[in-house]
Amino acid sequence: MKLGISLAAITVTALVAAGCGSSSSSKSSATSASSTQAAGGGSGSKSCTASIGIEAPLTGQVAVLGQEQLAFAKLAIQDDNKANGTNITLVQGDTQLMPAQATTVTQQFISNSKIVGVVGPAGSQEVEAVGPLFGRAGLVFISGSATNPTLTSSGKNPTFFRTVSRDDVQGPEDANFVVKHLHPKNLMIVDDQEVYSTGLVSAMMPIFQKAGIKVDHESVSQKVTDFSSLVAKVSSDTTVVVLPWQVAANGQQFGKNLAEQHKNATIVGTDGMFSPSAFTTPGSYVSSFGPDITAIPADASIVQAAKTAYPKFGTFGPPVYAATHVLDEAIASACKSGTATRSSVLSAVKQTSEPTSILGQPIHFDTRGDLIAAKWFLFKINPQGKYTLVTNS
Amino acid sequence: MAVEPRDSPSVGVDEWVARSLERREYLPGWRGDVQRALEQVGWWPRLVVATAVGVFIPVVIGLNSFQTQVGIDALLLAILALGLNVSVGWAGLLDLGYVAFYGFGAYGYALLSSNQLNPPGGIHWPAYFSIPLVMIGAAILGLLVGLPSRRLIGDYLAIVTLFFGEAFVEFTNNVAPSKLGGPNGIFALDPLHGAHVQITTPTGYFLVLLGLLVVSMAVLHMLDTSRMGRAWRAVREDPLAASAMTVPVNRVKLMAFAFGAMIAAMAGTIFAAQQTSVFPTDFDTPYLILIYAGLILGGAGSMSGAVLGGLLVSIVLDGFLRSPTQSSYIFYGVILVTLCVKLRPWTRVAFVVGGTIVFGFVMHAIVAAFSSSAVAGTSGAHSWIDLHWAIVPANPVTFGNICFVALLCLVVALVQVPGRWRTMLLIPTLYVAACAWEARLSQVPATTRLLLLGAILIVVMAWRPSGLLGARRVEIV
Amino acid sequence: MTKFTQELVNGLTQGGLYALVALGYSMVYGVLKLLNFAHGDLYMVGAFVGYFVLQWFGGPTALAVPVPIVLLAMFLLAGGGVGALGVAIERFAYRPLRDAPRIAPLITALGVSFLLENTMLLLFGASYRDYNTSAFISFSTGIHIGALNIDIVRIMVIVLSVALMIGLRLLVSRTQLGRQMRAVASDREAAEMLGINVDYTISATFFLGSALAGIAGVMAGLVFNQIYTLMGFIIGLKAFTAAVVGGIGSIPGAMLGGFLIGIAEAFITGYVSSTYTNLIVFGILIAFMILRPSGLLGRVQLQKV
Repeated sequence: MKLGISLAAITVTALVAAGCGSSSSSKSSATSASSTQAAGGGSGSKSCTASIGIEAPLTGQVAVLGQEQLAFAKLAIQDDNKANGTNITLVQGDTQLMPAQATTVTQQFISNSKIVGVVGPAGSQEVEAVGPLFGRAGLVFISGSATNPTLTSSGKNPTFFRTVSRDDVQGPEDANFVVKHLHPKNLMIVDDQEVYSTGLVSAMMPIFQKAGIKVDHESVSQKVTDFSSLVAKVSSDTTVVVLPWQVAANGQQFGKNLAEQHKNATIVGTDGMFSPSAFTTPGSYVSSFGPDITAIPADASIVQAAKTAYPKFGTFGPPVYAATHVLDEAIASACKSGTATRSSVLSAVKQTSEPTSILGQPIHFDTRGDLIAAKWFLFKINPQGKYTLVTNS
Repeated sequence: MAVEPRDSPSVGVDEWVARSLERREYLPGWRGDVQRALEQVGWWPRLVVATAVGVFIPVVIGLNSFQTQVGIDALLLAILALGLNVSVGWAGLLDLGYVAFYGFGAYGYALLSSNQLNPPGGIHWPAYFSIPLVMIGAAILGLLVGLPSRRLIGDYLAIVTLFFGEAFVEFTNNVAPSKLGGPNGIFALDPLHGAHVQITTPTGYFLVLLGLLVVSMAVLHMLDTSRMGRAWRAVREDPLAASAMTVPVNRVKLMAFAFGAMIAAMAGTIFAAQQTSVFPTDFDTPYLILIYAGLILGGAGSMSGAVLGGLLVSIVLDGFLRSPTQSSYIFYGVILVTLCVKLRPWTRVAFVVGGTIVFGFVMHAIVAAFSSSAVAGTSGAHSWIDLHWAIVPANPVTFGNICFVALLCLVVALVQVPGRWRTMLLIPTLYVAACAWEARLSQVPATTRLLLLGAILIVVMAWRPSGLLGARRVEIV
Repeated sequence: MTKFTQELVNGLTQGGLYALVALGYSMVYGVLKLLNFAHGDLYMVGAFVGYFVLQWFGGPTALAVPVPIVLLAMFLLAGGGVGALGVAIERFAYRPLRDAPRIAPLITALGVSFLLENTMLLLFGASYRDYNTSAFISFSTGIHIGALNIDIVRIMVIVLSVALMIGLRLLVSRTQLGRQMRAVASDREAAEMLGINVDYTISATFFLGSALAGIAGVMAGLVFNQIYTLMGFIIGLKAFTAAVVGGIGSIPGAMLGGFLIGIAEAFITGYVSSTYTNLIVFGILIAFMILRPSGLLGRVQLQKV
């Protein structure tokens, strides 16, 4: 107790050390991504060096999602460094999908002057928390999985972009497909108590109600791994179960529980469930805003590399690859006309115009940061567990 | 007294006697003089000095935005640990729902400072009005949650409070989404404002939190030395004896809950104002674990221990371990310091360190002779280490994993074997640790951060079971 | 009625797993008065061991040997391996703290939990792994009457968990080791004076408790298919709850507590509201604890003066 207060004072001093180091750390932490990439076929004589930060849940309950995003971001940087002759490095920031941690990581990235662009954060609630900080710092950030419409419509996040479609694009498309083609009288929709899920449910519900479908709205925590009690609730005349979930493995287990209890309902999953390796329940439908990249010939080499880096990838990696690629290209073009600064990269991202991308569609952003002409695809899973395209728009 | 090892309980001695005995055991040499000199300074002057240092750092030296953010996180955790200390450290009530009071404070502030209630205009009360209101609400909630403590003791109380904490998260996540926002949370909150002042900068929040920490410490110090403080400790040590001495046991327990809850809620309001948003996930069990880690690492029962623990946990976790370079310094630094402190005499330290270095060069040379690709990799951060010393293969993942598992096995073995063998075994252990670090751990900073946190918790508790500044345990027979 | 039976079976399956993990909690608490928060993570490690044994035999779709042998190997290796891990953890992390303040090992246990979770994340990645049980134990086996469908795996889990609990109960009440465990639980110092090897007894307790968690992990893999590195967190909390509700330190109490919580969850999800399941379960439990402060089968503690 006595010695205590003075010790406490010493600890506060450690704060200084914590920070003093962090400015020097930016230099070396960045090198951890890879230092062997400088030898690319460069176009300019001077090397184009910069860092990109990634905010993702690398540990914690949904590490499965964040680790996939990290693997694809690394891949994109490796490919683009080779192609553009740049020397871009990746700085990792773990948020555990918690807005408070995202704030700390964001401040870390903002004070690291090498970082000129950020990929992530993964969750809409995190974007909500850190958007104004990035905006004030003039630092561009592109999320590959934040789908809440208000993020762009509110105008509070001037430097925010996303390479996914919004809930209010995807939700109605999915709901209309269910109404028009599956004609259910009774339907169960289960949210997983996360932002992504509740957002989609509220986008779908009015359409179901308008079509006169009797909807049983259930909800189950993302952390639960057994759905048998919920499945026992699926009545015999319920023909469709809509699962707007992010963890595809949970959807797979829901399918198993349905089979176990001999229920005939068809699962309709949203893009969070799109995972040809993890969600393979035959007869189910899965929507996506991009085609199956494993079936695009142009993406074959990326898919090959991704399979080695992250064997069971699903829907979270490719948009992050696209987001990282957008940043890489922006940095390269900023380098051509000077140096890559935060403002030059931001304006380069705004002018992004890629005729093709890993997502199988062109990438350019509207003034609010949304992807223009985000497409919508629907797949059915055949008895062998393979995804087959049903319809797209 | 001198014969007994430091952390064994002093049997048959009460706390006050133990404390004065401890005071007589000064360290030898100049360290004892420093200790004695420090003791001449009273509690209040020391608080003033600590405050001055706290203000000096951001205002005079200046911190960048990340450092300030880490400072804010650290101060929040320190205040929370301080509040938890009231119920856990002083009154001895294991409260596992404590984080819910923090959440209550944050949500309370959010509702009173946003457009959420009473649309369309919402409620935007000034801070000097809303914060005290939220704190009073939290105190009442604390009394309610504390009510079961009249009947429940020990772990049964712990589980009921744990339910309360879990129920809070479930509640904010699911109930009344139009008001509480569900998983979307509440955002666009007003920053702290009132009386024509508005605090928007991180430094401003740092200073506000520092001020609140100091005020809480002062208030709690006065409480601690008052009748109430003595009653709390009496109830912790022996409720039966306390009630025989006319201490109103139940009322005293409830007061502990209420005070803890108030402090947590106060931290919550500032957190909400600084983040300008609140979400249920920020108040879940993982954060509770951090608060407990801070309090117990620092020393439950000691106020400065709680503050120190809270600051340390947060600064280490957010300030140092987030960056791969600094976690390297911590990793190698902690190993070296531990060796120097634990190994006696110094010739043994020299033997182990020298042996490890030689062992490394030999191993590296042997492996390089067999296969050049087995030493071809670099971890980037320390090229001088893995160039000639540590083994880092071109494809380091599997090798690094094997090294890590081997390291865990070796460390467990190290604790089991007797003296001389331990010194010998230290050399390969240290080398394997370096290889695992260079080949794998430094590449995955997020996972390594939590691994190191786990290791630090285990090591510190084994080293000082009653915490860094905790008082020696007393067992009355 | 069908739905009722179906939910009852669901509840019993989940409850059996809670109970097995709660047993380990309760046993360790009995001898050391330690809340071992790392216990749920041992369950996770067990699930992974079972998964790798399954892969070693050729994977769910191409098993090289008959299914019962594979299952036996999975249970034995997971039980034995996790039991040994539990003993190692006790010797390394908890033994130095045996005389420390009660709250210190709590933090050590959290540290062990961080270490286990993140070691698994480091070694095996964040991806969910799929037992895919229906590929080698078909859904068509089991009980199918009308709309009622009970999978054989569920029956196996319920039967096996009850059998293990009875076995443990017998072990504790009838054998020499059981007597020693009870002696250490009631007064460690006195037991030591009577010539009981306390260290050995504590190690044995950790082995048994951890082995049960490991076996429960394999069972969870078999019924719930998907396993991942943080799967132990929730069940750890639930098992702690079950152990306390049943009366901590009491073996039948832990069993009863586990089954009750499992069944309550299933019925509330099935008949009331899936959204508020946890909230309602917590509410019931709080009310129950206030009415019966020492749990279902816990004894009222006598205070020594």
